[in-house]
Amino acid sequence: MGFLQDTIADVRQVKRGWRWGHRSQVPRSAEPFVPPSSPNVYPNDWSRTPAAAAVRELAQKAALEPLFRSQVRARAEGVDVLDRLTGPVIFAANHASHLDTPLILLSLPDEWRRRTAVAAAADYFFDTWWRAVGSSLLFNTLPIDRRGGSLSTTPGDVLADGWSLVIFPEGTRSRDGWMGSFRLGAAFLAVEHGVPVVPVAHRGTFAAMPRGAGWPGRGRRTLRVRFGDPLVPGEDESVRDFARRVRAGVAQLLDEDATSWYAALRRAASGTTPDPAGPEVAEWRRVWESTQPPEAEPRRAWG
Amino acid sequence: MTRPGFVLEVDDRTPPLLVHEGLGFRLEDFPIGTRVVYPPEPVPAVPDVDEAIRDALHHPVDSEPLPALLKPGMRLTIAFDDLSLPLPPMRAPDIRGRIIEQVLELAARAGVDDVELVAANALHRRMTAAEIRHIVGERVFRSFWPQGALYNFDAEDRANLAHLGTTEKGEDVEISKRAAESDLLVYVNVNLVAMDGGHKSVGIGLASYRSLRHHHNARTMVHSRSFMDHKHSAMHHSAWRMGAVVKEHVKVFQIETTVDNTVFPKPYEFLMKREWEWSVKDQAAALGMRRGLALMPQKLRHRTFHDLRAAYNLTGINAGEVEAVHHRTLRNVHRQQRVEVDGQSDVLVLGIPYLGPYNVNSRMNPILATCMGLGYYFNSYLGRPVVRQGGVAILYHPLDEGFNTLHHPSYVDFYEEVLAESTDPMVVGEKFEQQFATDPWYIHLYRTSHAYHGVHPFYMWYWAAHGMDHLGDVIWVGGDPKAAGRMGFRTATTLRDALEMASSTVGSSPSITYLHNPPHLLADVR
Repeated sequence: MGFLQDTIADVRQVKRGWRWGHRSQVPRSAEPFVPPSSPNVYPNDWSRTPAAAAVRELAQKAALEPLFRSQVRARAEGVDVLDRLTGPVIFAANHASHLDTPLILLSLPDEWRRRTAVAAAADYFFDTWWRAVGSSLLFNTLPIDRRGGSLSTTPGDVLADGWSLVIFPEGTRSRDGWMGSFRLGAAFLAVEHGVPVVPVAHRGTFAAMPRGAGWPGRGRRTLRVRFGDPLVPGEDESVRDFARRVRAGVAQLLDEDATSWYAALRRAASGTTPDPAGPEVAEWRRVWESTQPPEAEPRRAWG
Repeated sequence: MTRPGFVLEVDDRTPPLLVHEGLGFRLEDFPIGTRVVYPPEPVPAVPDVDEAIRDALHHPVDSEPLPALLKPGMRLTIAFDDLSLPLPPMRAPDIRGRIIEQVLELAARAGVDDVELVAANALHRRMTAAEIRHIVGERVFRSFWPQGALYNFDAEDRANLAHLGTTEKGEDVEISKRAAESDLLVYVNVNLVAMDGGHKSVGIGLASYRSLRHHHNARTMVHSRSFMDHKHSAMHHSAWRMGAVVKEHVKVFQIETTVDNTVFPKPYEFLMKREWEWSVKDQAAALGMRRGLALMPQKLRHRTFHDLRAAYNLTGINAGEVEAVHHRTLRNVHRQQRVEVDGQSDVLVLGIPYLGPYNVNSRMNPILATCMGLGYYFNSYLGRPVVRQGGVAILYHPLDEGFNTLHHPSYVDFYEEVLAESTDPMVVGEKFEQQFATDPWYIHLYRTSHAYHGVHPFYMWYWAAHGMDHLGDVIWVGGDPKAAGRMGFRTATTLRDALEMASSTVGSSPSITYLHNPPHLLADVR
């Protein structure tokens, strides 16, 4: 082989070996020997200034939305609940894919979208300056520490400033499309700041772009997102109880999306809402079932 | 924080791993399940080197403080390790120079006039003035070299050797006369690996062929298991017996130092990092260096590597009675190099780097490459070898550097004539060793030029004797088939081919262990 071929082979090997374009991985047997990464979080208070908001508006409307709609079919239901609210609120949603954030944001009415920030893992989205800037400008992300550390700007400050927040209480994307347990962060913020929680449930994002994929799959898959009635923490309700109620709210919405509003309501009343954690069966069957697309929209012949 | 050494098991997340091969390296995709032994990261260094030296000299182990041993009118000899240590050579100032300066300051204060400094190079080549200056420092060099009081040891200068007697096993002890007749012999060592130091310093470094032949032979080496573990090494047992004889004749004040393992300076640090932790910069450096080396002519590649000077940090210094000091030194060496490995494997993979103890500023010829692989690296174990009896060693080295005829003239003849007859260490030793050891031309070159002694290539071959005896097959990846064939080995182009060839010995799905060095590691096989 000549020098050029060798060079190409070398570059390919390094590209593949070190997963260019993806996060690097640690071999399993080396995991105990990896020191905990130092919390290197890039602050992003600037991203909620009017100038940054203007840039974001342009980026979302001129780039993100057309691109998003070119790759998937998205349909939002229940957005009208927001008409009854004045904000700020916490949107608590299930989390299965990187598509969840644009799906929720782009489903919101413009005036809500412009005043909504997305809580994002500080160790994932804010560990390098370019990821911090990119995600802040595109999604208005806000760093939260899912390992329990402290940050300069807390979600509470942002809520107090009148911004709504999208929070994924599971803390990470699902590995099989089903819902995991909810952490207490969203419920805690709601109780602490007296803010209502709007449950949000969506289906189809896992099938379209699961964990590990860098781009939505071919064929413009259907995504559905449904907003539920706001939940307000009771006066004596504990954070733990409220978190359970939020999760039940999301579960009911998922049921509603799969069946009908009334059927889901009946099941919720009788306590038979299907467990959003999915059936306890082999992993492949869980993945198989969760990747069933929501029934497709009837395609219109014209218009 | 220093992370310990550990054993990686290659899985689907493991990036290609770095393997040294002479004046270069490759990135190798190892089969899933391969065990890779990584050395510990550099252990904490001594905060103040000069203070640590001062403390060691004033508070030695099982000995009076050095100032109390220095008297006006005495004969003081300072011996020091030669350029075979450390590897790569240390960035100036060398630790030996810093220690010697302090010893000399104390000697000057005590009014000692008769001081000589001798490099303990035994049958190694004479160092050049520049090489000695690098070790001892400019001040010491200027004060002693022009007067002839700083010199290389000459093991063939019969008039300046002293036969101190024999051990209980009849081994001759013959060392430098000046050292033997000194009132105090201060030995300054760099204990890079566990085989160095102890009674090996004076008993071997300042000894003649007459003394060395008792333990530098194939029989002893096969019974040194390993020579990195002095308690189980027949070579060290012999050196320790000789040390007892030396002790009866001369007071030795041993100073042993240990360094960490920062062997690669900037911008080559990626060579010491765990691959999955390579940053984008490290990946770019590795790619750039590989492609750059591919473009360079051999001479430039040689310079690129041999100009490297390691930024070692001192991790410990102990002075005093030889054995007590060495005990402490080994603890430090083990702290830096020991890695527990669970059980033996069928195949041992080793990357042979550009440098070994005998090719500093010289070429890694095929015999030295074999000595590095089957000698040093194979023997770098405690307990049992990393590879099982009858297993296979897969070594990476191109074996294409040829011979440096200034430094290794007898190697050329050993390669051309001796290995053509036999590659069995026992056979070549019995049949040819005497002839090479007493050849007047080799002796002349050893004494007046910069040549290794005529017998030295035999020692290299003996070093590998235990490995050759233990292994069922040896395969060189990327090696020159002619050179490997001459030495009785086989070659393969890739690891996959090598494993295919090894399958006739160890089956088609062997267990594989790769020792990821340099930096040096010592596998403690349980």
